[in-house]
Amino acid sequence: MNASPTVDLTGITKRYRGTTALSAVDLTLRPGITGLLGPNGAGKTTLLRILATVLDPDAGEVRLLGRAPSGSVPLAEIRRRLGYLPQEMGFPRSFSCFAFIDYMAVLKEWSAPGPRHEEVRRVLDLVDLADVAPKRIRALSGGQRRRVGLAQALLGVPELLLLDEPTTGVDPEQRVSLRQLLSAAGEHSTVLLSTHQTEDVAALCDRVIVLDRGRILHDGGVQELVATAAGRVWLADTPDPGARASWRTGTGKYRNVGTVAPEGSERTDPTLEDAYLLLLGSRASVTEVAA
Amino acid sequence: MTAGLRERPAPPVASVALRSLAALEVRRYLRSPLFLIGVGLLVWTTVVAIGDFGQNVGVTDPGDQDFLPAFCLGLLGVFVGHQLTRSLDASEEAIGASPSDGVRRTAALCLACLVPGVVALAWVGWIYAALAVGNIPLSATIGAGARAAMLLSGVVAAVGGPLFGVLVARWVRFPGSPLVAVVVLAGWVLVSTVALALPPSRAGTLLHLSAPLTAWSSADGPRSPAWVAGGSPGWYLGYVLLLCGLAATAALLPSATTPRRGRLLRLLALLGVAALACLTLAVLPDPVRIPL
Repeated sequence: MNASPTVDLTGITKRYRGTTALSAVDLTLRPGITGLLGPNGAGKTTLLRILATVLDPDAGEVRLLGRAPSGSVPLAEIRRRLGYLPQEMGFPRSFSCFAFIDYMAVLKEWSAPGPRHEEVRRVLDLVDLADVAPKRIRALSGGQRRRVGLAQALLGVPELLLLDEPTTGVDPEQRVSLRQLLSAAGEHSTVLLSTHQTEDVAALCDRVIVLDRGRILHDGGVQELVATAAGRVWLADTPDPGARASWRTGTGKYRNVGTVAPEGSERTDPTLEDAYLLLLGSRASVTEVAA
Repeated sequence: MTAGLRERPAPPVASVALRSLAALEVRRYLRSPLFLIGVGLLVWTTVVAIGDFGQNVGVTDPGDQDFLPAFCLGLLGVFVGHQLTRSLDASEEAIGASPSDGVRRTAALCLACLVPGVVALAWVGWIYAALAVGNIPLSATIGAGARAAMLLSGVVAAVGGPLFGVLVARWVRFPGSPLVAVVVLAGWVLVSTVALALPPSRAGTLLHLSAPLTAWSSADGPRSPAWVAGGSPGWYLGYVLLLCGLAATAALLPSATTPRRGRLLRLLALLGVAALACLTLAVLPDPVRIPL
């Protein structure tokens, strides 16, 4: 473990017109993959944008890769070592896949064309887009575009990789492939993965942070969070109105996630999703689970 | 998925990073359909204009052909500069997290605006070659230096148009803003030509030469003898060059942070003063109309 953390946030607060997006958040990240979960509007994207140095907090102290991101020189030093996939990444209409990544590589200061083109090919290969490299981005599918976004974030093997919902729109096969890629990245980099997909977090992360209404509700191991739901999830023939969440599974049984076990129910192992729902409490709805 | 990891390059010198980015922007400029249309239009109108020189159809001097690159490359260039600047807006957040800040990206775009300037310079060479080959007599009223300055002001306008497009893209964000910019630019030039219809005066010369593009020779009627307007084409060239400098510096401002912003503001003031000085010197000669 490194002596100094990759990310060190103290008392980070961010407000938008009276709404508090982040409230006195303290966070330390070191190499490895950390999952960031939370409902819509929890402050995940704001947190990632602050870490990506594209947004300044209203209060608190930020240290990234051992530096405070203030002043053009330290800012450039940090940005040279980070990769960022924003939540909503658009692309210029006229660019091909290769041309866009090449452009991003130039912005990331890969000046010599030879090594730069080699690097572009490498990241396109990593996200399985080598075959469509000459194609216009607008001709690609949503999942492929997401992977183009991921490819630019991977340029130059960043020490801090910030990914805002990288698997959105990606098919299951590609998702597994991306998991392999991200787990490899987590061996040498600090990866923060913001997602609504609890199964991605369960499959990839050794640590999970749950954010709600701008505050950290949980910061610890994934198994640690799952353990909080032990004995609180059961299968039954009927939905339990008192449960935090309840839905009909493929077997015809209802999966009830709550605090009181109804009569005739069958206990089952909790998942990260169950634990997450219980942590969020009454704010989690069945609709959200189904979605 | 098995490709090996590649080491990040050592941070390049700022000028090297800017050069690489500018090279990429130059390629984008060269591929812009509007620019290619402009070049085609310039070639076609020049062929027609050169034919007119030989037949003495026009009443004006070849030095006044500066409006050709100014229109074909400069005015259309407003759209090109704007489009190149705004085309990456969709990826702004990812781009914003890169070590190339907004100032470097804008500077690279400004350098790419030299592309139409190079084409316009080649066009000047073509005009001179055509005049020499056709053995076309030129009026001695306009000296060789003055005529060169007149033609070169068209080259500067070819650069200034796209620079203005970059400036507009960096400062205002509403649909149709490049069109408004073109209308403003064309209106400015049109208003300045009103001075040519007025009796010669210093105020009239000032109005005439304050525009970023101007016609130097005219006539009072279709059958009247042509004359050349008062003012110094050389100092006017300096003035429009400084206008380009002002546009580029102002385009850099929105993305600059302190202390760079302060330096840019000082440069802007310096360029503004120098432009005013050049305009004053351009207006200084007696406001008389000399027959061609």
